[in-house]
Amino acid sequence: MACVQAATAAVDRDYDYEPPRPGTYQLPVIKPAAGGSLVDSTGKAVELRELTRGRVTVMSFIYTRCSASRACPYATNVLGQLHLASSEDKDLANGMRLLSVSFDPDYDTPLQLANYADAVRDATTGCDWQFLTARSAHAMEPILAAYGQTVDKRASAKDPDGPLSHVVRVFLIDQQGQIRNIYSSATLDPRLVIADVKTLLLLQNR
Amino acid sequence: MITQLRIRSCLTVVSVAASAIVFATGILHADETCSSPYLARIEGQEDFVYVWTLGDEGLGDGSDKLVTIDAKPGSPHYGKVISSYSVGSRNEAHHGGFTDDRRQLWLAGLDSSKIFIFDVHTDPAKPQLMKTIGDFAETTGGAIGPHGAYALPGRVLIPCLSNSRDKGGKTALVEYGNDGNYIATHWMPTKEDAHGAAGAEFADGYGYDARVLPRKNVLLTSSFTGWNNYMAGFASILANPEAKRQFGQTMVMWDFHTRQPKKVFQVPGAPLEIRWAWGANHNYAFSATALTSKLWLVYADDHGEWQAKEIAAVGDVKGGVLPVDISLSADDSRLFVDSFGDGKCRVFDVSDPQNPKQIYEKEIGRQLNMVSQSWDGKRLYFTTSLLARWDKSGADNDQFLRAYNWDGKEMKPTFAVDFNALKLGRPHHMLFGARTIGKPPTVAAQ
Repeated sequence: MACVQAATAAVDRDYDYEPPRPGTYQLPVIKPAAGGSLVDSTGKAVELRELTRGRVTVMSFIYTRCSASRACPYATNVLGQLHLASSEDKDLANGMRLLSVSFDPDYDTPLQLANYADAVRDATTGCDWQFLTARSAHAMEPILAAYGQTVDKRASAKDPDGPLSHVVRVFLIDQQGQIRNIYSSATLDPRLVIADVKTLLLLQNR
Repeated sequence: MITQLRIRSCLTVVSVAASAIVFATGILHADETCSSPYLARIEGQEDFVYVWTLGDEGLGDGSDKLVTIDAKPGSPHYGKVISSYSVGSRNEAHHGGFTDDRRQLWLAGLDSSKIFIFDVHTDPAKPQLMKTIGDFAETTGGAIGPHGAYALPGRVLIPCLSNSRDKGGKTALVEYGNDGNYIATHWMPTKEDAHGAAGAEFADGYGYDARVLPRKNVLLTSSFTGWNNYMAGFASILANPEAKRQFGQTMVMWDFHTRQPKKVFQVPGAPLEIRWAWGANHNYAFSATALTSKLWLVYADDHGEWQAKEIAAVGDVKGGVLPVDISLSADDSRLFVDSFGDGKCRVFDVSDPQNPKQIYEKEIGRQLNMVSQSWDGKRLYFTTSLLARWDKSGADNDQFLRAYNWDGKEMKPTFAVDFNALKLGRPHHMLFGARTIGKPPTVAAQ
């Protein structure tokens, strides 16, 4: 309980406002969500295009060695909160999909991603949440370019924040594969993301 | 249940670590204080000052250009122009801004409504034009006069000044993706269509600056004038009563996430630049009205309701001093106010934001427009040009960038670049560049 209170306090301080009511605002199309060949945490080949259609997708680019508290750990944490929320909300459970895509395939092997997923995901309930990467860094490059996800090596591989520098990018993708919002750590309020997901689900039902 | 406990544990770690970053950020970052909160920050001191410069007919090639000045003390080219990229046309160069990853610099032309997108990542010392948006009015549904570019996650917000229908002051906010794709147009509220905002009776539909306070999920906009006025000579406007009425009288508070206007404030006299305070509990922003020479505060009252009030006069000169750019120190204690009319920078103690006190003033030149301040508050940069047809003429037509050190009591000059002598043009908006870009900003760092 203490942990939950601490997290709530952080949200109150960083996001000091009431989230909007789903369906009361527009989410204009930003651009089509790109596809690409990836592998999941079992090593199975998957096509990103197929995973960004049919449901509202929340997709986060991460790498598991990231230690910058407001970067990948925060993004994964927010996806974890969305996953927990979906375990108690049938609309989210059936209509939302979560993707955590590592841009560090040399380290984030399928086995590493499976272990990471086990640490952060409730495996038994909630919406689909997959952990993906590419076969190689070279194979990941066009996907990152298509999504505008910049990644640089830090000057020191032993940097306390991790060896890679990047902006936080989390994408909201509608059921037709169109990007409808892009969040950074400054806007990745789980309440806003849920409002956005529900707004897109309501649009589909109209 | 086990996983839920793990996630909860993780939440606590994030909370504690985020608090720690508040301290670290203040030390590491030395960016401009007026940057978008979504912008990746410079680590350490700025290496370059980029200057978006209006072409001046008969001076050099007469075209707008991005001028890069070396600002790194100890560099062999310190205080010198190290790069100048001409866009080959005059567009009434005005303001610009970086994308949130700081890889691109978007520069806007008020007259042509063109947007010039420069690559400042491959070689920050020598920016290169990578793309030009030339169909702005057609794509946006009639918004013209793009004022600048304000970094949002994965996109830029472009507040405009005019419209293609009558070229008056009714205008819009426009969004483009970082790769130059158009996203949306949000028209400013008017009396006829206030989009549900309170204070609709004041709504004039005008625009100028647009800035976000993420912590409160609010976007604040200000208002200037349309193409008919900003492309006319200043003297001709003063001689035309109808033209004098065509200036913005409002600021608007928006719900940022939904892009819905919530409240229109009556702020007479063309409120221009907006500067949100950075303090974690500082729910207020400053602006200055150009035509009435006043400082205004937009703030959350004791009930959390947003209010606007006049808080101080700028100068004590009959007819006003035309305050233009303002810059708030990172600790929210000092507000630097540039005035075009008398060429002075005035420094106000705004520790009590409701009761500013002027503590210093210095004449920088015979005309003065923009001021950029380093995050540590130690360096100030000034430029001169306001609008091509509003700038002073003859000997009063100073066109320079002047750099100063500020020790909290006095400004001491460090270097100057004479844009007239170098045949570069009229220097306007300044932005800091660096070879090393730091960590993304945090919400808590605000």
